Amino acid sequence: MKYYLRAFIVLLLLAAAAAAALVYSGIYPIDAASAHPMPLYHILHYTMRRSVAHHSQGISPPRLDDTTRVRSGLALYREYCVQCHGAPGIAPDPLARGMTPEPPNLMPTARGWPPSEIYWAIRQGIKMTAMPAWRYRLSDEQIWDVVAFVEKMRELSPQEYKALDNTGRNTPRPSAPRAPWSPGGQLGDPAAGLRAIHQYLCATCHKIPGIAGEDQNVGPSLAGIGQRQYIAGVLRNTPENMLRWLRDPPAVDPLTAMPNLRLREQDARDIAAYLYTLNEAP
Amino acid sequence: MMPPRLAAIAQGLCLLLYAALCHAQPAPDGDSLRGKAAIERYGCAACHVIPGIPNPHSKVAPPLTKTGTRAYIAGVLANTPANMVRWLRDPPAVDPLTAMPDMGVTEQDARDIAAYLYTLR
Repeated sequence: MKYYLRAFIVLLLLAAAAAAALVYSGIYPIDAASAHPMPLYHILHYTMRRSVAHHSQGISPPRLDDTTRVRSGLALYREYCVQCHGAPGIAPDPLARGMTPEPPNLMPTARGWPPSEIYWAIRQGIKMTAMPAWRYRLSDEQIWDVVAFVEKMRELSPQEYKALDNTGRNTPRPSAPRAPWSPGGQLGDPAAGLRAIHQYLCATCHKIPGIAGEDQNVGPSLAGIGQRQYIAGVLRNTPENMLRWLRDPPAVDPLTAMPNLRLREQDARDIAAYLYTLNEAP
Repeated sequence: MMPPRLAAIAQGLCLLLYAALCHAQPAPDGDSLRGKAAIERYGCAACHVIPGIPNPHSKVAPPLTKTGTRAYIAGVLANTPANMVRWLRDPPAVDPLTAMPDMGVTEQDARDIAAYLYTLR
């Protein structure tokens, strides 16, 4: 008995020493350019979901389908939320595209989370993400207004959201003119594409095999996209068309909810190369 | 004549009201079993992989797995029961660019098909 106890303590000390060595050596990748490893992502995400569910117990929402509330929520959403979370047909701002973890698209949140949990997450924020605690910035009533709008947003098509959005955020802001891409459908490096996909928030809307994410179901799963006949239901699936689509989806189909994510040419060629490795339908 | 800014606000309010009304709309009053039969009749599986429908290797259009929880229909409409019926009845009327043809789906068939698709979660 004593022997086992001693062995256990030695093992414990060894584990602690290994952990300390890992921390001290600095080899753990803390950069935001690489995604969390898949198992760690799922552990962290599950911890977050459990914690939000636990801490939001006992919160009862007011009436949310109230036009005044939704209107106030829309104004607040445009002011504080769309920069990171986007909206129907609206891309998050560049600052949000490099974040790890990626700020989620809120359409699935509106469907899957109870309003009390959305309220709690806005009010308290989420540690180790870029989600701030809004309770120091907004009143509780204002936070409920935002929840009310998020609940409503899932029923807005891109066109309907754009009609509501009179801030001009949906019109492309003046930026350095982009050089035309060289013609042709030349594909890049799939491994680089896998890394770049993380930088353009692709997995906040699409399930993409090989990418750590929540299997989001905002747009269709990209499993099997390599063999699919059409892109977005509107273009024949050729490498050239894929690049055209990735570069500026609304220029191809003005009705699409997929925004222009301002891909750089090489990133687009790399991402397309990765997508063409996905031949297995779900 | 309303100033354009006022008109924009009024239009926004109308849309919000419309969305509020849509919210109250129940799931499509279709029958998922009849919907499954209709899906086979219209040959939807010639283009889409649809769980529960034979011919699981179609690669024309996206798979319809988890359509019940998808945020958008065809990337252009919010996924509400009313929008689903609208899309199924005449896709090119919604998005003129779409490759999905008007299959002449009747209102009742569209409701039944939608009911089946919403079982895919």
